[in-house]
Amino acid sequence: MAASIAQICVKNIRSFPLRQIDLVYQQTSCVCAFFSTSSPLSQPKKLKHVINYQRTHAEVARALRKKQNFLHHEMVDKHRASPLQSGTEQVSEKTGEAAPRDYRFVMPEFLPNPDFRYRDKILEKMERQDMLRRRAVIDIPEFYVGSIMAVTVSDPHSPGKTNRFVGICIDRGGRGLQAYFVLRNVVDGLGVEVMYEMYNPTVHSIQVLKLEKRLDEQLYYLRNAPLEHSTFSFDMQPVTLPRDAPVPVNTTKVKLNPKPWEYRWERFNLKGIEPLELTPKMEKGIKAHAKPWEDYDLMLKYRQKVNEDEEKSIMTEVFQENTRIEGERKSSRAVLRRKK
Amino acid sequence: MASRTVLTLGARPLGLSHNLCGNLTTLTGLEWSSVCVQQVRYRRFPKFVVRPTTRRPWHVRKWTEKKDEFLDKSNEQFVREVIADKYAKTSSSPLKDGPWERNPYLRGTRRSGVLALKLGTLIHWKKDGTPFTVTVLQVLDNHVINYVPPEVYATYPSHCPHQGLRFGLQVVGSLSCDPRQFSKPYNNLFVKAGVPPKRWLTRFLVTPDAAIQPGTALNVNHFKVGDYVDTQGRTRDYGFQGVIKRWGMKGMPKSHGTTKSERKMGATGGGGDKDGIWKGKRMPGMMGNYLRTMYGLQICRINTRYNLLYVAGVGVPGLPHTFIRVSDTVLPRKQRTEDQMSSVAMPTWFEEDEEDPLPEEMFVDDVFQFTEPSLELEAEES
Repeated sequence: MAASIAQICVKNIRSFPLRQIDLVYQQTSCVCAFFSTSSPLSQPKKLKHVINYQRTHAEVARALRKKQNFLHHEMVDKHRASPLQSGTEQVSEKTGEAAPRDYRFVMPEFLPNPDFRYRDKILEKMERQDMLRRRAVIDIPEFYVGSIMAVTVSDPHSPGKTNRFVGICIDRGGRGLQAYFVLRNVVDGLGVEVMYEMYNPTVHSIQVLKLEKRLDEQLYYLRNAPLEHSTFSFDMQPVTLPRDAPVPVNTTKVKLNPKPWEYRWERFNLKGIEPLELTPKMEKGIKAHAKPWEDYDLMLKYRQKVNEDEEKSIMTEVFQENTRIEGERKSSRAVLRRKK
Repeated sequence: MASRTVLTLGARPLGLSHNLCGNLTTLTGLEWSSVCVQQVRYRRFPKFVVRPTTRRPWHVRKWTEKKDEFLDKSNEQFVREVIADKYAKTSSSPLKDGPWERNPYLRGTRRSGVLALKLGTLIHWKKDGTPFTVTVLQVLDNHVINYVPPEVYATYPSHCPHQGLRFGLQVVGSLSCDPRQFSKPYNNLFVKAGVPPKRWLTRFLVTPDAAIQPGTALNVNHFKVGDYVDTQGRTRDYGFQGVIKRWGMKGMPKSHGTTKSERKMGATGGGGDKDGIWKGKRMPGMMGNYLRTMYGLQICRINTRYNLLYVAGVGVPGLPHTFIRVSDTVLPRKQRTEDQMSSVAMPTWFEEDEEDPLPEEMFVDDVFQFTEPSLELEAEES
């Protein structure tokens, strides 16, 4: 700015007649003095609060909010992959034969926590590795809620040091090494439910006696149903399915006992129970507690699910490792048979 | 209102007194604009809460916003390669003088620690079937930056006089970065060690016999399986919180004539001799983001491939991806025994110490490994 004004002045001086020169000097003397003291490059005045956009989004966020001692997960991964880093290996993604599309329903416990704040690539990798190692030792078969299963666990207080329990799987949950399922059966006229951790080392064997699905994701309503629906013989023989057959869906509808119930089952939109006789009060409660907008809440669904690409890479790794484990198990069985 | 007005000059008190003795007329000749007329109230309680907004004047400025405007994309890539070449090639041997003398581990020795990243928690089982939680820490890209001997450290303001000349300072940094985003004085801190500038620095008090040469890389083998460590970090930042969340107070009933005081704290003090609000009264305020230490956690598993420490126990402070200072424990009951002392990596682990390469995974004896067969529990003898 100063330079341009000075140039204009010089031009004016040349063009003006001599009389006016004094006047021009008087007007521009101040500007000229400023020009002479400033640097030759005439840098613009530096702004104080300039954000360096060369930094990543995470770094900018960190600079704006002074959060000490904490690193965004993107930055952690960037540092792990940095060429300046040495001594620690990186997690490599597996390529090759991809898992079937519905494999996440077969192995739901391998999916990580969808909350990004609690996710870490290496931690998830190590947890998966431990789970697959355990799967190589004991056979954890494919099962669903509604399947009838038998579980043997080590029990120092039982006569044979092991305890076998048979029942219908009424719930399945947890992720990682903390995955669990709940079995229900009737023993001596009393409903019994046992929760088993799938990767607990005291579990000796998990066997699926009858592989099938039910119409609901949780069968806790069997607690308020007649006991015959949750009674299974401990001597039940396993039912074999033909190879590559789809998993059958059991569409039986259960008739619930009259009230009192453990929960207000009419509010759960259950498909596996016979239609209930609704009182006006029940209808009012259903209307008050319904959340019809959740079907259209795309962000809610997005937050509850792991990113599809990541899910695919995780499931590919699990699928390949699992097929390898099963192949080894088959070959070892063949060796045992030959030895006999 | 308890307050008083202080008249101070812009100059430091010492210089002021000197001037006063020399020439009194300078004081009388000063204008009012050079005098500070600011009210100074009594100091707040608690005195020493260090909030994250507190500046530390003795630290050099870390970040810079300067950038080279003449760089285009092709140059940018070239500069990155140069940086990687410079540091990745020299990292093999940054030690200009010969390696320092190595001493045996003795009873009073205190070694340096490492700066780890908290990854999260997992569940593990012992061989008697009991589950326990482990916290996974990753020792990523650690280097020793500096060592300050005790004689020099004794002149520092942070030196505690009762420690005498027992400890020196070991500065450790983690996570190498692009040097262009840091200021020049910050980058100069790393010139001596010959490592790229680090995102995070910390310092450990070490005895001189355990001093490590600057430029040495630290990794997970600094510790052994079964060691007890102290983990120190900042707890998660809750911000300004009320009295129920911050101090666990009860609040007040929701009904029966109560209005607008469900989550309030009730009375602040008594009457008579005990009247007034006592110092330390629990009130709403900033919660979290303080330094907390968990003492005496056992290392139950080590992964040398990804540099992971599995520390038994919950309560390692902070959310995942928080920086944690991990060092040998100071608890007297959990110190190493005489026979364990010979196997300690002193001052740290070097690759040339091991004849055979270390296994990828190392476990404590009583932790269940997932490759083992299922447990067969025995009844306890009554």
